[in-house]
Amino acid sequence: MSSAILEVENLNTWFYTRRGIVKAVNGMNYSLYAGECLCLVGESGCGKSVSALSLLRLFDSPPGKIVQGRVLYNGTDLVACSPDRLRAVRGKDIAMVFQNAQSALNPVFTVGDQMMEQIKAHDGLDRNDVLTKAKMLLEEMRIPGAARALKMYPHQMSGGMKQRAMIAMSLSCDPKILIADEPTTSVDVTIRAQIMHILKDLKARRNMSIIFITHDLSLVSEIGDRAAVVYAGKVVETATVTNIMNNPSHPYTSGLISCLPDISSGMKRLPSIPGNTPNPLNMPAGCPFHPRCSKAMEICRRVEPGLVHIADDHTVACHLYGPGAGGSR
Amino acid sequence: MSDILRVRGLKKYYTVMAGLIPRPQGEIKAVDGVSLSIAEREVLGLVGESGCGKSTVGKAIMRLEEPTAGEIIIDGQDVIRLNKRELRQMRGKVQMVFQDPDASLDPRMTVGGSIEEALIVQGMSDAAERMERVGGLLDKVGLEAGFAELYPHEFSGGQKQRIGIARALAMDPKLVIADEPVSALDVSVQAQILNLLMDIRDRDGLAYLFISHDLSVVRYISDRVAVMYLGKLMELADKKEFFSNPLHPYTEALLSAVVRLHPGGRERILLSGDVPSPLNPPSGCRFHTRCHRAMPICPLQEPEFKEVSPGHFTACHLYG
Amino acid sequence: MTESKIPVGKRARLSVYFNKRLAQYYWERLQKNKLSLAGMGFIIFLMLLGIFGPFFTQDPTYSDFNLANIPPLGFSRQESVYDIKTNEFITTVIEGRPDHPLGTDSKGRDMLAMLISGARISLLVGLIATGIAVFIGVVIGVLSAYLGGWVDNVLMRFTDIMMTFPFFLLLVLIVFLFGPSLAIIVLVIGLTGWTGAARLIRSEALSLRTRDFITASRALGASDGRIMFNHLIPNVASLIIVMSTLSIPGVIMSEAALSFIGLGDPMRTSWGTILNAGQHTLDTAWWVAVEPGIMLFLTVLSFNFFGDGLRDAFDPQASI
Repeated sequence: MSSAILEVENLNTWFYTRRGIVKAVNGMNYSLYAGECLCLVGESGCGKSVSALSLLRLFDSPPGKIVQGRVLYNGTDLVACSPDRLRAVRGKDIAMVFQNAQSALNPVFTVGDQMMEQIKAHDGLDRNDVLTKAKMLLEEMRIPGAARALKMYPHQMSGGMKQRAMIAMSLSCDPKILIADEPTTSVDVTIRAQIMHILKDLKARRNMSIIFITHDLSLVSEIGDRAAVVYAGKVVETATVTNIMNNPSHPYTSGLISCLPDISSGMKRLPSIPGNTPNPLNMPAGCPFHPRCSKAMEICRRVEPGLVHIADDHTVACHLYGPGAGGSR
Repeated sequence: MSDILRVRGLKKYYTVMAGLIPRPQGEIKAVDGVSLSIAEREVLGLVGESGCGKSTVGKAIMRLEEPTAGEIIIDGQDVIRLNKRELRQMRGKVQMVFQDPDASLDPRMTVGGSIEEALIVQGMSDAAERMERVGGLLDKVGLEAGFAELYPHEFSGGQKQRIGIARALAMDPKLVIADEPVSALDVSVQAQILNLLMDIRDRDGLAYLFISHDLSVVRYISDRVAVMYLGKLMELADKKEFFSNPLHPYTEALLSAVVRLHPGGRERILLSGDVPSPLNPPSGCRFHTRCHRAMPICPLQEPEFKEVSPGHFTACHLYG
Repeated sequence: MTESKIPVGKRARLSVYFNKRLAQYYWERLQKNKLSLAGMGFIIFLMLLGIFGPFFTQDPTYSDFNLANIPPLGFSRQESVYDIKTNEFITTVIEGRPDHPLGTDSKGRDMLAMLISGARISLLVGLIATGIAVFIGVVIGVLSAYLGGWVDNVLMRFTDIMMTFPFFLLLVLIVFLFGPSLAIIVLVIGLTGWTGAARLIRSEALSLRTRDFITASRALGASDGRIMFNHLIPNVASLIIVMSTLSIPGVIMSEAALSFIGLGDPMRTSWGTILNAGQHTLDTAWWVAVEPGIMLFLTVLSFNFFGDGLRDAFDPQASI
């Protein structure tokens, strides 16, 4: 196994609201290896996006605060480092692509201007080089007529083009890690196929590490090398994508997989997970999934399970596995 | 089998006005000649990308949008010719479920009130009877009757969608138009709602027009599937036939764009570019600009929507 | 998700305009804003003062020149009178008296009685004129947004014209023509002050109109009137309350300004008329101007704080 380029250890990002503390990220653990694509999978509100924003401290603070934990990037703890150091990492080493390209692009500047500003902010290139680089990046994203696209304002572009321009922009400083937060949620299927293709291509050619955040398990099998399933602010299962898909071990993971209407099977009735995602202000005690779990035991109500290794590179947080059920790690 | 809904040559054009003194600048042909039918107890899936006009078809059938041309026959009545009073009666027969459960319930009204409104509008004057019916409807969609007292913000997204369904069922409709009813929901809740819709159909003998962009959901719920692109139908076939033997290149591309849980097998067809503007659709076949099998005739002549094999319709020059 | 145990059949039909549970929720939110509570407290105090105060004070129009310019309790004033007999100035010190705790004006009228009577007039003017303005604003705003098209165009252009019209000039003109009567002043302020309300309500109603719950209601066959009264207006109700609260101080100031320049109703004592009288005696009897000034200041401030608090309490997005 290659070495981890990014390690998240017991990360806790809490939001202090008037109605109480929302523990959006509540003891998150995962690592990202060089050149791989790690998928964070979970339903809305499970904390997958906040955990990614926490890596670069990009959430609103206050009310948000990293209460505990470490994010190790190349030996630097991004949680503890100075704001200046963090700013150098943002964009240059770790870049982000957001769900909504429409609002992530500034409407009053051309795409070219915005890209060039990004490149200049980190590299000391002269204007001509910057321009060439911006054009090359757009070509890499297969935007037809890259030179013309540089002079366009965001509103002149179609949705798919904007999304690709934003990916190009995030690549402007050749980051080592790309965090893609639901980049295909607001686009159509045919455009989604294009974007997924580009991301896979990027990973292969630039040997880039990608954290791909999604609620859609079928995309995971498409792009991911490994996956971390997130529920109620915690990783409940990590494994290679093949393992997750063929041998899901946490009841939540297997429930998620089986409730997807798969196009290739002609099932008559969908299995479903009962109940709703828990209220972040009022998390159930013990294992947060136990009220919806079909295999819940007595211990699940009381003790929160820690992550245990059940196979090579396959960890699960569930009392069904591991000895002496419920060591609090 | 009798058809509960028959649509013929449905068109809905929007005039674009611009300028200081607004003048017509052109027409957006949101729906441009759509013909389809739904039999009793049948689920027709209507698939397409955003902006293809699939929602407009649903709204036009409800006459929430006045159609520009065409014929909409529900239960033997031409909906377009109905006057206000007849239209109200017709609306007892056709109801709608919306995409966004947050927006489809009045935040200032108890959910019971929202369901009750359907009954009041349709002329059920006895309050006690209405209350009982509201309780029964909530029960039918898997909620407790006591929930009628609560406000929408006290429910989760899935529960709100159940309430939306209960409201649509209030007058025992024969056809329900479901406009992307699960796309705003979490995956684990999606399955619950899809199951509920299927259960209701089996029990009450409803027909659905199920509008969606998600082919895997459509495959699960539909009996027949229709594909729309830029205001026109591209293909219409029985579900089995549609998924095993897609004819139109656009359908092929859509099907290949669906990611599977266990990938492998079929080669992916990547469509180039985006959907063209409906204000100025391409000449000839509307899909030719993105088609991987376009021929010289495609930009010149518009293909006819015709039956290629029994029950399998498509509009493509490949099958002429 | 709390479970309601009330059996559905037994409850009375809930009003869309008032609900105890919702009201309680807003009250809890309002209570967290202390400034707003203080504002509310002062407004209530002022109302009680306006309603019951005049029964306990002397006649505010009764003047006794022997008791002119008495300072408030705890203050004193020196008065020099030239005595013809002795040919010298006799300086007397006039102390505040308990029977005139806030002093008297140059005509010997009791300041306390005048201020209380002024509170009644100012509040009356504020409430009635705002009521008229907001009523017109809601009607025009909702109609304009809901009906759209040429109705919207005509109503909004009319609003534009009203907005650009110099309202104060009109007020002066009308008062000049018809004589200064309180009823006319209230009417004119009300009939000209609705433009802002109309625009605000219209824009809010416009965004509501496109929401799915309105479409759902139309799909059920609900009439336009039903949609406006049961869905649109309840959803702008909180906006109306906040808007009214925030516009009352403006109206009170307008009336005061009118009285200050001498166009107030001479038969009534309002804070504006007292201020007007006080400005001439600022050097000898400062309290005549300062006291109504303080009252105006506190009233305007209270309404603003209260309105701000209401706005936050009603806004589900605001974190309190």
